[in-house]
Amino acid sequence: MSSLSQHLPHLANLTWATLADKPILETGATVFAFLAAVRLSRVFGNHPLLNPTLLAILFIAIGIEATGVRYETYLRGSDPVHFMLGPAVVLLAVPLFRQTATIRASGRLIAIGLLVGLPVGVLSAVGIAWLLGASPQTILSLAPKSVTAGIAVGVSEQIGGLQNLTIVLVIMTGIAGAVLGPIVTRLARVNDPRVVGLSMGIASHGIGTARALQINEVAGAFASLGMGLNGVLTAMLLPLVLKLFF
Amino acid sequence: MLEQIARVLFWLCIGEIASRSGLLPLPAPVTGLMLLYAELAIRGKIPEDLGVLADRILQFLGMLFVPAGVGVIAYLDLLKLEFVPILAAVIGGTAITIFITAVVANRFAAATSKADTDVAPEVEEAAGDVKS
Repeated sequence: MSSLSQHLPHLANLTWATLADKPILETGATVFAFLAAVRLSRVFGNHPLLNPTLLAILFIAIGIEATGVRYETYLRGSDPVHFMLGPAVVLLAVPLFRQTATIRASGRLIAIGLLVGLPVGVLSAVGIAWLLGASPQTILSLAPKSVTAGIAVGVSEQIGGLQNLTIVLVIMTGIAGAVLGPIVTRLARVNDPRVVGLSMGIASHGIGTARALQINEVAGAFASLGMGLNGVLTAMLLPLVLKLFF
Repeated sequence: MLEQIARVLFWLCIGEIASRSGLLPLPAPVTGLMLLYAELAIRGKIPEDLGVLADRILQFLGMLFVPAGVGVIAYLDLLKLEFVPILAAVIGGTAITIFITAVVANRFAAATSKADTDVAPEVEEAAGDVKS
């Protein structure tokens, strides 16, 4: 009898009783915020400035400030959403595979995009920060800002940047690319979805890729490719180049 | 469908093992992407459910970055000392990168597609050089 009562509390841990500790509210809030952001964006004709990711981030931040919930509580609670990012990035192989023929026919276009986009991405950020008097550590943390967070963190560490600062800069860059990509390419009168996607993927990794996928599958596939190749090349070249010249 | 979820998680796990063991200096999802692509290339086709899964999930890929973005807002205070150079470098640098990459790649694409239709493939490269 006594052993039975000892075991019952364990069962309680598996039932609804402990839902309060579970990330339901944070995950739910994230989904609702994004859904609201998508709807609002649609009302305004999906204007690039009303990027659903950016809007949802602002909605959540306003909610957090208004309710006095701590940011850490939200960040811990929204972990299931964050976790989904891994499988979702793996799934980018599907649109990429569907566009294999187009990609094969565009080998040199992709090479040119990387040849231009990789150095311009690093030098434009480093140059602007240097001109405006940023500290050396901030400049180094900025250098890998265009590549996907997991790679950027490793590069930042190798070249002497601050890892946590780099993560923040990478996310900011992704959002900037997602918002500005469609506007800037329109200004440049570029309509080729291969070029739009490639440029956005190279400059703004996964968040830019998510936006490019909304344009069409060709743009999405080329963005995935730009993100992946720029990530791998930056990881190989950036520490090497810095070592050679400084 | 469960098979396809298992397939995705399998390659993600292999990616995780490769990155944790130091075999590959790449994040697990990037390795997983390459491995799934390799598998599809060998198969020669996409399992139907996998295509559906990818289309459904990737439709809201943008949502999956929301927690990370909120994290940035939480740390915005840390940037305040160098807020102007950082913001200018991030926004200006990203806009410049997309603009220059798009313009150069577009000129190349236009030049080569013209070369494809007008002249023999051998002179394609020369035409690209002239136009850009």
